[in-house]
Amino acid sequence: MEEDKSKSENPLKVNRRHFFSQLSVGIGSLALGSLLIPDLFKGGKGPVASQPLGIPHFAPKAKRVIYLFQSGAPSQLESFDYKPTLVKRMGEDLPESIRNGQRLTGMTAGQDKFPLMPSAAKFSQHGKSGAWVSEFFPHIAKIADEICIVKSMHTEAINHDPAITFFQTGSQQSGRPSMGSWMSYGLGSENQNLPSFVVLTSRGKGNSQGLYSKLWSSGFLDSKHQGVLLRSGKDPVLYLNDPEGLSRSDKRHLLDHVSSLNKIHHVETGDDEIESRIAQYEMAYRMQMSVPDVMDIKKEPESIIKLYGEESQVPGTYAANCLQARRLAENGVRFIQLYHQGWDQHGNLPNEMAGQAKDVDQASAALILDLKQRGMLEDTLVIWGGEFGRTNYCQGNFDPKNYGRDHHPRAFSIWMAGGGIKPGITYGETDEFGYNIVKNPVHINDFHATIMNNLGLDHEQLIYKYQGRRFRLTDVAGNVVNDILT
Amino acid sequence: MDSSVPDFVLFLGRFHPLVVHLPIGFLFFAFVLELYGRWNKNPQLYMAIDLALLGGGISALVASVLGYMLSLSGDYDESTLDTHFWFGLATTLITFFAWGIRSGKLRIAQLNGLKPNMVALTLVVVLVSVTGHYGGNLTHGSDYLIKYAPFGRSEKVVLPPIAQLEEAAVYDYLVNPILESKCTSCHNSSKKKGGLSFQDTIAIKKGGKNGEAFIAGNVAKSEMIRRIMLDPHDEDFMPPEGKTPLTGEEKSILTFWIDNANADFRVKLADLETPEEITSIASTMLGLEDVTGKSGIPLPKVGLVKEEVIGNIVSAGFKVRELIFESGLYEVVLPPNFINSSNSDDLDGKLEMLLPMKDNIIWLSLKDNDVQDRHLKTIGQFVNLQKVELEKNPITDKGIAEIIGIQSITGLNLYQTKITASSLDNFLKMKGLKRVYVWGTAITEDEVARFAEKQNRPDIIMGM
Repeated sequence: MEEDKSKSENPLKVNRRHFFSQLSVGIGSLALGSLLIPDLFKGGKGPVASQPLGIPHFAPKAKRVIYLFQSGAPSQLESFDYKPTLVKRMGEDLPESIRNGQRLTGMTAGQDKFPLMPSAAKFSQHGKSGAWVSEFFPHIAKIADEICIVKSMHTEAINHDPAITFFQTGSQQSGRPSMGSWMSYGLGSENQNLPSFVVLTSRGKGNSQGLYSKLWSSGFLDSKHQGVLLRSGKDPVLYLNDPEGLSRSDKRHLLDHVSSLNKIHHVETGDDEIESRIAQYEMAYRMQMSVPDVMDIKKEPESIIKLYGEESQVPGTYAANCLQARRLAENGVRFIQLYHQGWDQHGNLPNEMAGQAKDVDQASAALILDLKQRGMLEDTLVIWGGEFGRTNYCQGNFDPKNYGRDHHPRAFSIWMAGGGIKPGITYGETDEFGYNIVKNPVHINDFHATIMNNLGLDHEQLIYKYQGRRFRLTDVAGNVVNDILT
Repeated sequence: MDSSVPDFVLFLGRFHPLVVHLPIGFLFFAFVLELYGRWNKNPQLYMAIDLALLGGGISALVASVLGYMLSLSGDYDESTLDTHFWFGLATTLITFFAWGIRSGKLRIAQLNGLKPNMVALTLVVVLVSVTGHYGGNLTHGSDYLIKYAPFGRSEKVVLPPIAQLEEAAVYDYLVNPILESKCTSCHNSSKKKGGLSFQDTIAIKKGGKNGEAFIAGNVAKSEMIRRIMLDPHDEDFMPPEGKTPLTGEEKSILTFWIDNANADFRVKLADLETPEEITSIASTMLGLEDVTGKSGIPLPKVGLVKEEVIGNIVSAGFKVRELIFESGLYEVVLPPNFINSSNSDDLDGKLEMLLPMKDNIIWLSLKDNDVQDRHLKTIGQFVNLQKVELEKNPITDKGIAEIIGIQSITGLNLYQTKITASSLDNFLKMKGLKRVYVWGTAITEDEVARFAEKQNRPDIIMGM
């Protein structure tokens, strides 16, 4: 309906189909029109057209997502995928039967040998489930019975940018909406004073890869679904306070006037982005009130600070961001995306990765426990993982104390918790070399389909038509991984 | 195909549906010329009637021959075919007869006074219409013409609606509707492609030219299953190119019927061990889907809520979200700290506003909103609640007692409330309850440990 209204308001918004439907006047031409354009009167496939946005397709288990993205790709072999065979066959060349034609990055393609390298970190089993977790992650090991480790993730990309873009948008090429934007689009906001998609970044000391705003862009969706990046520092939002001499009511008058000018322009051009801009100004105005309160972690009691670690008091750290994430979740933000940079260990892996793990281990586990004690874990889906895995062979000098690993898309591990995911299980298996998946592979499209499923969204039905094509987060693929659902 | 008929004959026969339209056109045109000529008093028009009749006759003859060739394929119901055949022949003969009179080649004295042209032409037109009608019935089925007619639509046998999935007879409620939508347009009593008809159970059991359509209990040997499962490009694939193929769900139902139900025509779902997949497909087909759908959460069936009720609630400050499209089931959230000590009296009125949709709320969040024990009395009427968030409110054990009647609650969040261990026994009375969050209350670890020994108890989740 709304669409029709805006069409009648502005002739510039009439497209080919509307033009044709306008042509058909009277029953005869109506019939002709329907012959020419078969779905002229259908308006797309059943539920897609009839179901308003903001309502799930089926009963949701999760209301929100916290995605702890480990940017740079943490090694699965030093974290969750325990491979004793690599110890036994240390230094041996990776058998061709295992590599099986896998393309390599330019960084190791020149190596004449691919010596197998075991993990420098020791592994042990944890929890009732007996999950293998390395010594780099002692706190996550303690919550092994709360999480589901997926050891059989695989991707198509072999380099950071396409891989992370794939994870975030469902496509290796940039330009599609981020998954947070899709969720905001599909589920709407729970708190009108905060954006429904918020991004927080932090950076470890390890080798880092870039993060770009395209990763939380709304693509072709309305820009109000775009992720809002809160700054990693003392002031999460700059210029939050009005300048001296500007009262709140002055500000209100200013916005009202700007808005009325924008509305005139909107009537002239019919550009929906103008309406989005008006909405953004209003959101910013409301955020002036809501953000200081939400972001004020000073109110957290000592016990919580202890749970997340002392670092949670230092703005801009991963630990602080985890604590913020919980506060944002409590305040109705649908999709909270964290990035922690520095996981790209092409060299000096044992040292760097130990450091990276230290950055995130305690706070990640604390977030799970904190959500649980607040009763929020059951409807908050938490995801921890990077954009691909790392090779089982050594990059650079062969030194078991100081080695590196290259990018490996064929198999890697992530974990998920809460929000309708079965706790205390490990899903999928890799071969004894940790190179190929031998059981229950999970593609990124499957991963997206599963997340959407838990939020009550059918990944095949959440569709946006743009430039004559129907787009989905999962494009034309994706199967819900039912085995890991509660 | 019957192997005794040469392919080339059948090939020619398939031009019958094309050629038949020529005599129809010619003959109607002849009739129109006659009428128009009379009305317009323009005898010149009559000159063309000869030619139109001759053309009609010759093309009717050709069509008849081709039609006979087509009939050799044996794909058609014989009685309808016979009628069509004889009417076709009659049309051809009468046409030649009419042409004979018209052109003066045939002189019969007795007919002179009868205005023979008009009579013969009328007869020809009637005959060609009847023939065409039967021909159409052969190709498209006898109910094709009037299926969408605004008048006298013959109602099919309407199955009595059922309330329970188990009551559904597998064949009547699940299999037959699939056959009707995807198969019977070509496999019916008047158009038996491949000699096979799905018109009724007797016909189905009979099978077609390639033998039985199915072997009870053996999907692997059932021809109809083999054909629907083929690659769509395969020549044997059914339904043939241009028709809508069966969906995965429909294939599952047919397979289930033949394998698990032993192709029994009477068996009900209740008599069978039904896999979850089939149950879910069947409930969708029969419109019985309890909206649990894919997530497996049992949900109550409720009526829809009037928009003005929702509107009032939203303007009172609640966030209202329908949890599944058109389910009438809602999540209702009062944003935290909306109510505080300064306006705590407002809450009574706000909760009252929810009463018109009390059965429709399944998730309710009132966290941090100064909820008191007396408010829980109102909430106690919300009988379909599943998730209830009451944390950070000054409620006590007395308040909890007000809501223990709601057996559907699965998750109850009471952290940082004033409840004590005496509520633990009340939790036992709530049969559906799975999780209670009591972090930050007076309940101690020891008390929870003792409670953990009880049977059929919810998980009590403490702080970390």
